[in-house]
Amino acid sequence: MVKEYFRPAGVEEALELLAVPGSLALAGGTFALAFDARAKPERIVDVALAVPRGIERRGGALRIGAGARFQELIDSEAVPAVLKAAAASMANRNARNRATVGGNLGANKSCASLVPILLVLGASVEYRERGRPSAVVPLAEWLAAPKGLALTLTAPLGSPAAGKPTPGEGLRAASLRASRTACDIATATAACAFVLDAGRVAGLRVAVGGFGPHAALRLDIAALFEGKPLPTKAEIENAVLPLLIAIGDQRGSAEYKRLRGAALVADTLHAAEVIT
Amino acid sequence: MKVNFTLNERAVSWECEPGESLRDALRRKGIVSVRNGCDGEGSCGLCAVLLDGRLVNSCQVLAPQADGSAVSTVDFYSRNRELSIVQQALVDASCVQCGYCTPAVVLALHELLERCPSPSHAEVQDALSGTLCRCTGYEQFYDAARIAASRLADPAYVEPAGPEFRPDLRHVGKDRDKVDAPTLVRGERAFVEDRVDADACHLKLLMSPHAHAWIKSIDCSKARSMPGVVEILTHENCPDQVYTTAGQGYPEPSPYDQRMFPRKVRHVGDRVAAVLATTPEEAEAAIAAIVVVYDVLEPVLSIADAKAPGAPIVHHGDVTYVVGDPPSGSSVKGDGRDDPIVYQFPLHADPHRNLAASVADGIGDVERGFAEADVVIERTYIGTRVQCTPLEPHVVYAKVDSGRLVIHASTQVPWHVRRIVSRAIGISENKVRVIKERVGGGFGAKQDIVLEDVAGYMAWTTGRPVFFRYDRRMEFMTSRTRHGMEVTVKLGARRDGMLTAIEMKVDADTGPYGQHCLTVPMNAVSKSLPLILCDNARFEVKTYYTNLSPAGAYQGYGAPKGSFGLQTALAELAAELGMDQLDLIEKNRVRSGSRIEILRSLGEGRPGSPVTLGECGLGEMIARGRKAFAWDKPKPAPTGPDWKVGRGAVIIQQGSGLPGLDSANAELRLLTDGTLLMLSGGADLGTGLDTVTAKAAAEILGLDMADVTVVSGDTDTTPFDKGAYASSGTYFSGNAAVRAAEDLRDKCIKVASGILGEAESDLKIVPHGIVRGKSGEVSLAKLAHMSTQGEGHGDLVGFGNFKTEHAAFPYGAHFVEAAVNVRSGEVKLRRFHAYQDCGTPINPALAMGQIYGGVMKAVGHSLYEEMLYDGQGRPLNLGFTDYKIPSIFEVPDDFHVEFVPVEDEVGPFGGKSVSEISLNSAAPAISIAIHDAVGAWCRVWPFTPERVLRAMGKL
Repeated sequence: MVKEYFRPAGVEEALELLAVPGSLALAGGTFALAFDARAKPERIVDVALAVPRGIERRGGALRIGAGARFQELIDSEAVPAVLKAAAASMANRNARNRATVGGNLGANKSCASLVPILLVLGASVEYRERGRPSAVVPLAEWLAAPKGLALTLTAPLGSPAAGKPTPGEGLRAASLRASRTACDIATATAACAFVLDAGRVAGLRVAVGGFGPHAALRLDIAALFEGKPLPTKAEIENAVLPLLIAIGDQRGSAEYKRLRGAALVADTLHAAEVIT
Repeated sequence: MKVNFTLNERAVSWECEPGESLRDALRRKGIVSVRNGCDGEGSCGLCAVLLDGRLVNSCQVLAPQADGSAVSTVDFYSRNRELSIVQQALVDASCVQCGYCTPAVVLALHELLERCPSPSHAEVQDALSGTLCRCTGYEQFYDAARIAASRLADPAYVEPAGPEFRPDLRHVGKDRDKVDAPTLVRGERAFVEDRVDADACHLKLLMSPHAHAWIKSIDCSKARSMPGVVEILTHENCPDQVYTTAGQGYPEPSPYDQRMFPRKVRHVGDRVAAVLATTPEEAEAAIAAIVVVYDVLEPVLSIADAKAPGAPIVHHGDVTYVVGDPPSGSSVKGDGRDDPIVYQFPLHADPHRNLAASVADGIGDVERGFAEADVVIERTYIGTRVQCTPLEPHVVYAKVDSGRLVIHASTQVPWHVRRIVSRAIGISENKVRVIKERVGGGFGAKQDIVLEDVAGYMAWTTGRPVFFRYDRRMEFMTSRTRHGMEVTVKLGARRDGMLTAIEMKVDADTGPYGQHCLTVPMNAVSKSLPLILCDNARFEVKTYYTNLSPAGAYQGYGAPKGSFGLQTALAELAAELGMDQLDLIEKNRVRSGSRIEILRSLGEGRPGSPVTLGECGLGEMIARGRKAFAWDKPKPAPTGPDWKVGRGAVIIQQGSGLPGLDSANAELRLLTDGTLLMLSGGADLGTGLDTVTAKAAAEILGLDMADVTVVSGDTDTTPFDKGAYASSGTYFSGNAAVRAAEDLRDKCIKVASGILGEAESDLKIVPHGIVRGKSGEVSLAKLAHMSTQGEGHGDLVGFGNFKTEHAAFPYGAHFVEAAVNVRSGEVKLRRFHAYQDCGTPINPALAMGQIYGGVMKAVGHSLYEEMLYDGQGRPLNLGFTDYKIPSIFEVPDDFHVEFVPVEDEVGPFGGKSVSEISLNSAAPAISIAIHDAVGAWCRVWPFTPERVLRAMGKL
């Protein structure tokens, strides 16, 4: 039961408040406040005013304040279509008007809408810990061991280090999800980013959600197709299927989820378009 | 803590708890338009507010987060009682049904138009993406958005009239405002929860964690002494009565097998104890302090479990019959511990073998029919349990007033509530008043007395006002689901497609108690077999007790599952014969003048009789669908290589009330200014029944709709009505209103004859409320005034009663075009056309809304919805996060409703029922379309992607 509520105006104050045991950083609240019956922490530290909220393109990279709402990503001209699509995969507009990028990372659910695409874009997180200057680490690293308060994300939208794009082409990316209904929790999510180098897949990153406690980069899947011409969907499915481990639940059996996930990875690779 | 913000443009400063949601704070301060349908999941959107101009769910905003913000609710748009552009558009588009979601829709569309004055289809869809509506099917929201946008651009914009019927009538067959719509779009007090007094106590239930267990002991001593606790009820101190919760006509065709608190719990969520306390928190705390020791038994979790030799017995009490004898060979002697079972009359039951009811009958010689067939197929179709999910959960407010028990109920059956509650409590009916408030969706779930018995008893015995509202989790666990059914259909046919024999076997699962246990499964047969003419037909229905959630009535009753079985089997037979499925239907369907012999065997718990059908619109409806879908031409192309397109069509029927069983009454009073007060027994659930009765009065008395006020569903002030079920609203309650209006008209003419000195035969009522003769005229206002003065004969009041032996069947032909993804198993509905004969559509756009809503519920059942249980009988999906009802995204791309009216000779102005029938088509039509697309038959609903892939052999 919530007994104390704080809304610090700056990050230092927020970190001080969060240092008290039992405190929870509240972002949009679409996860942390969901369900009346769910136990809530006693101390809520609302970080809405403490973290940046702006969205901008700077030097071929996209910089997103952790406080940016999903709907603001969709409304921003700075945000490429692939990231807008990932944000819009949270189909419920009421939720998008509250849910924040930082909250999506903080909750780090397996079905997270933004995490897969941010991972494959090679996003980094700027964060602050109490009494320390801000630091920047790759998103994958931060998600593996969240530290401090996430302030901004920076996603490079150019070519990945490996691979040279075909002249006239740039980084390709896509993000897809599978769910029973548009507003359901995802059964599986997948995102990819790569360039086509002389018709071959280069610098491929693949992330999937729904096959473990968190959405994650899958180096093993990427390795299957790196340096090769893009296979057919059927070939991708057959190759990916053995690598997916799922747990059956009310959204489907493990067998179905694996098949669906493999199909989603194939669809994602074939749906990838050059980021503009 | 103090929270300062602007609410509807006025500065407010509220003291709030740090953890209080903005929703709770608003409701605490009397903003009732902010509703609650999902208990904070954020999945229903009914608590939406505009926070700094953005639509958000106020359940997921802490009140302190609103500090410094601007909050708007629908109340902002309702000032001065003027309707906003959006509110008026929703009324004009006829998409205000139960009204529980309407304030949220108003806000969503205002927010949309603010940022997007001329929205596209996709933008409307996005704006409403967070709002669930179970009534409307969403389609008419697009009309409302378009109308509002048009008026925003041009305030003088007039929406063209929709389809109209009966040109000889002023109101009937034309769209008129739904009489309760203005109240509902304003978000005014209308529902039970809006009637609760500040001093109300709160009732909470302790529910069984086990599917099947004896209560060995229950210790409430600590709980009783806790602060705020008023009373605790358990099986040890509740009335020792058994009854049925089924709100059916008395004597009910449902066993009396439920005690207010059972000695043995029979499903997860069954009642163990109830605590009444001064606050919800105190009640919850006391619940947690009750100590119960269970003797856990093996549960019965399927029909197969229930009928297996040596199966655990769900009910083991003494079995008695009020009328008639037990079936030969059945067991009646109980184990001495369990609660008794009382049947009002025999239902061919054997409860000690888990058989709650059964029936078997038929016509002709079925064995000979199969022997004469060139092709015989036999298939089994399984319909899993689905939830009604009214967005307003079950709720009741009961209090004692002037020595009587007054129950504010969200019910479909006020009179059955009065009868059943008075019996359960042990008081006479004159001591009980039931007031049906606006109902935030019922769909059958509120045909049962789910809360009113315990709330009424608590109020009566303690004298304290009692508020009892289910949360969504309880609603899923212990409300009423559609019965699980296994329908086996055997068909024999000649090579030319002519049927020679039909056999339907229905096994149903009623759950722990037997409400509707005969009639729902029987309905699977009685609303499907009569569509097909076959001299040799046989059916067998068996309903079993299990330890799953209670089943009961759900819109369509048993018909959707029977229709799924029979219509899909007909298509499978057509495929076997190499015929077009519609050609096979045409060869065998009923048509005008058909004699339907099978009805001889299909009475509702009484002998039936064959019917010679009058006019039947099926031929025309099928023809229109064939044309619209270019049925005889190649199928449309899919959108990509992974997708295949298929089509399916079905014919469907329902009834219009229960001939020979039900009755309805209405009273129409002429007020002294010439306006009318309609006192209708009918229970409007948001369907528009009150608008039907108002129309009847306005039409017959030559008045405008605004001249008629309807009071309905109040057992003290309105006359008896059987309630809203069995598609009886328009036909029974509407006809009662017609008769009341005719009676009042005749009385007015009689009085006017004396005043004008003209023969009654020379007088008629003409618009606008004038009795006109050959030489003179008098207004209704003057008549009323004169009648109530000293020289008059008293109030002019018309009374109407309706009952009938006439069976009026609405028919429909529904067509589906579906795209199936061969890699993912996903099914998308590209087109859904509903051609429907409801007789004269009394209010066409409202009738269309009923069909859109019914179809979308059935689409949900067919593709997404399913109650799931673990191996111990524990329900797994107890909220909208996990149990997915369709949102606006799931609406078919081309969703079309079209009427082919065939007037009924008895129905009000030729009207028949319209709503329930529309749930009978989606499952078979989509199943057939999936087969047409990918060659696989899906025989278990819902047709999830996984089931489609399994049917295709890909899993």
